[in-house]
Amino acid sequence: MAQNSGKSKTKKASTAKRRLRVGLGLMLTLLLVVGGKLFLVQGLDVGGMAEAGINKRLTPVELPAERGQILDANGTVLASSVIRYDIVADQRVNTNTPEFGRYNSATAEAETVSREQGIKDLASALGTDPAALTTALTGDKPYVVLAREVKPDLEDAISKLSIPGVVSKAISKRVYPNGSVAGGVIGFLQDGTTGQAGIEQTQDEALRGTPGKRVFEIGADGLRIPVATDELTPAVDGKDVKLTLNTDLQYFAQQAIQSQVNNLSAQWGSIVVMDVKTGNIIVMADTNAPDPNNPGGVAPEDRGVRSVTAAYEPGSVEKMITASAAIEEGKASPLDTFTIPPAYTIDGETFTDAFDHGTEKRTLAGILGWSMNTGTVMVGSRLSKQQRYDWLKKFGIGEAPDIGLPSEAKGILAKPDQWDNRQQYTVLFGQGVSQSTLQTVRAYQSVANDGVMLQPRLIDSYITPDGKEEKVPAKESRRIVSKETAKKVRDILESNVTEGQIKEAAVDGYRVGAKTGTSQAPREDGLPGFDGYTASMVAMAPMDNPRFIVEVVVQRPKGNIYGITNGPVLRSVLGQVLRTYNVPPSTGTPARFPQFAK
Amino acid sequence: MSTAAAKATPSTVGNTARSLPLRSPDTGRKVRTPLSVVHSTPGKRRVPFFVFCFGVLAAALLTVLVLNISVSTAQYNLVQLKAQDATLTKQNQELTQQRQAFEAPQNLAAKAAQLGMVASTAKGQINLETLAITGTATPALKGLSQGAVIAPPAITGQLDVVPPASTKEPLESHAPSAADAKAEAKDAKADAKAKPEKKAEPKAPAVNLNGGSVPAPQQKVPGQ
Repeated sequence: MAQNSGKSKTKKASTAKRRLRVGLGLMLTLLLVVGGKLFLVQGLDVGGMAEAGINKRLTPVELPAERGQILDANGTVLASSVIRYDIVADQRVNTNTPEFGRYNSATAEAETVSREQGIKDLASALGTDPAALTTALTGDKPYVVLAREVKPDLEDAISKLSIPGVVSKAISKRVYPNGSVAGGVIGFLQDGTTGQAGIEQTQDEALRGTPGKRVFEIGADGLRIPVATDELTPAVDGKDVKLTLNTDLQYFAQQAIQSQVNNLSAQWGSIVVMDVKTGNIIVMADTNAPDPNNPGGVAPEDRGVRSVTAAYEPGSVEKMITASAAIEEGKASPLDTFTIPPAYTIDGETFTDAFDHGTEKRTLAGILGWSMNTGTVMVGSRLSKQQRYDWLKKFGIGEAPDIGLPSEAKGILAKPDQWDNRQQYTVLFGQGVSQSTLQTVRAYQSVANDGVMLQPRLIDSYITPDGKEEKVPAKESRRIVSKETAKKVRDILESNVTEGQIKEAAVDGYRVGAKTGTSQAPREDGLPGFDGYTASMVAMAPMDNPRFIVEVVVQRPKGNIYGITNGPVLRSVLGQVLRTYNVPPSTGTPARFPQFAK
Repeated sequence: MSTAAAKATPSTVGNTARSLPLRSPDTGRKVRTPLSVVHSTPGKRRVPFFVFCFGVLAAALLTVLVLNISVSTAQYNLVQLKAQDATLTKQNQELTQQRQAFEAPQNLAAKAAQLGMVASTAKGQINLETLAITGTATPALKGLSQGAVIAPPAITGQLDVVPPASTKEPLESHAPSAADAKAEAKDAKADAKAKPEKKAEPKAPAVNLNGGSVPAPQQKVPGQ
């Protein structure tokens, strides 16, 4: 059989074979084309398709870091961040949805609500006019803010209304629970993020923290792809900043100085309280202090901290520095006798006192006790010009304290060769030189602390998010005068109260040392001359072991300058401070240097 | 002689032949197992095996199902608990804020004034070690000027914590009696009701009280 059909069969077989081969070749070519394309797409990613795809799916989300709190020395919160919601709407969605479904929890079933009813519900929740809300929700804008900084419970109620196109957006809001108490010190934020004043500004970096990031892939259906990239960089919350302030005393002092300034119709006033032993600032009170919740509520010039920003001519409080220098240099002692004429002339410059007197025989203590310019110039002229300059500089005049507040003034202390003929003597009683209240307090602190000056501290520590407290180390202290000189000067200051003219600084039960200062305030309108006074009083207590220094300053009070006094304000603040810190009443015999020489 | 017997005899031919180790006759012999007809394993025993396999499969599937259900139930729980956590965090924040608002010195002072309290001015001290009394404590007098009012914190939604201080009380300059106190309490209530009117009062020009919700200090109001 096979032999019979031999030739034709072979022919047929070869044709089939050829067809098969051609078909196979075709298939292989197709396979090669498809495989090659696959290799190009998958292996080489020509055209960046895979990369584009990943880029489309990858979704980065920023995880915000929580801003740290600002606390006072007792942990009272002065600034913290809370969750608030902005209610925003997509007008397109709302306008094009005439009715929508909603779950009614009262009847436990779904109901259909018309757009008008929905807007009415939303208006009553937000407390706005339905007509105005309808206008706000009609149009083709994709983003309209309906309400800002809504509280969580209201946000919850609004989201339950499930109005189409209306969503809430979580935001962080800074609140200041104590308002204007220490408002100037704390400062405020711009746009809720960046510190614009006070501690919020200077400590912005520490408070801010580092925002985290999450990168994940998301599908076209809006769901996260479970096994794909998911990188999480957790946010690092900001540190808390703990201040040395005491909120209760701060309030007490702010109220006291506000009353005083109101009574005297003064331009401004401020009070500083400092712990002698540590340099910690306990109170920095200002009048018309801003409420950081609404900083625009006060005038721009009231938004800072005047105790550090305002440099003015201190007046007679500077006589303490002159006396310290003279005693330390061995040029005088507290009971040295000076014969003081009604007017004292030196180098052609005549100096008089605030009160009329004949020729008197006074002690150095008596000169300070009655705050006599004549006597001070007499004592101070025993020092050379360079010595006067060096001693002012040593006591920190012309050197800004660095406590972490913006624009701290360093005052003006001209070089001795730039002093004019009169200025070389006026600097002895605090005219022709300017300094901030804190600089005065720091100078008195060095005398109170046995001659060692501690740099003032406002920021006590930083508290990390895990609760670890990082103390801010105290700056280097320096010796200004010897322990003996400091004691003599303190006795002079105490005699000012016991024997001199500052009797009203006395606090029942405590030995107090004090000095007043009255100086002419230069005009601020650019014209030469003076247009008012700066009245200040600085005191320390208890004198057997000084713990606290209080200074009260009132700028440009109205009325007769010799009729006004900061005594009662200082007394009440000092008394309150001593009692708050449970300082035991004084022991020992109060210093009573005679004011007149025998 | 059988071949076995021949093998048993030492195969020594002549004295040149090596002596080979002897094999015991028993070791080489193997006892043949008697052959018999064996029945194959019965076919019906396969059915329980299949049932067993299906049982295992079903059990595995069921376990997976139960696991899945429990995981998704736990997921729902997790979502619910997370929502609860968020709600509680918000509530906690809200309550903390309220407490802070109550604690704010301004609000505390306003509340105290509303209750008719006045600050004492002169305080004394007793030293418990020496029993020495220093200072002369005097009772607080109603009617003394209570100093400037510091505006309460302007936090949205927190101003209702304490109503603004009454302006009437500091005017009475005599010591309070019970009847007076009652009358004053009534006054205070009336004041609280007549809040909008109070707001309209002229403010002191020198003091910016930030928002006007707090009455100006008495001594500063012109014409009074």
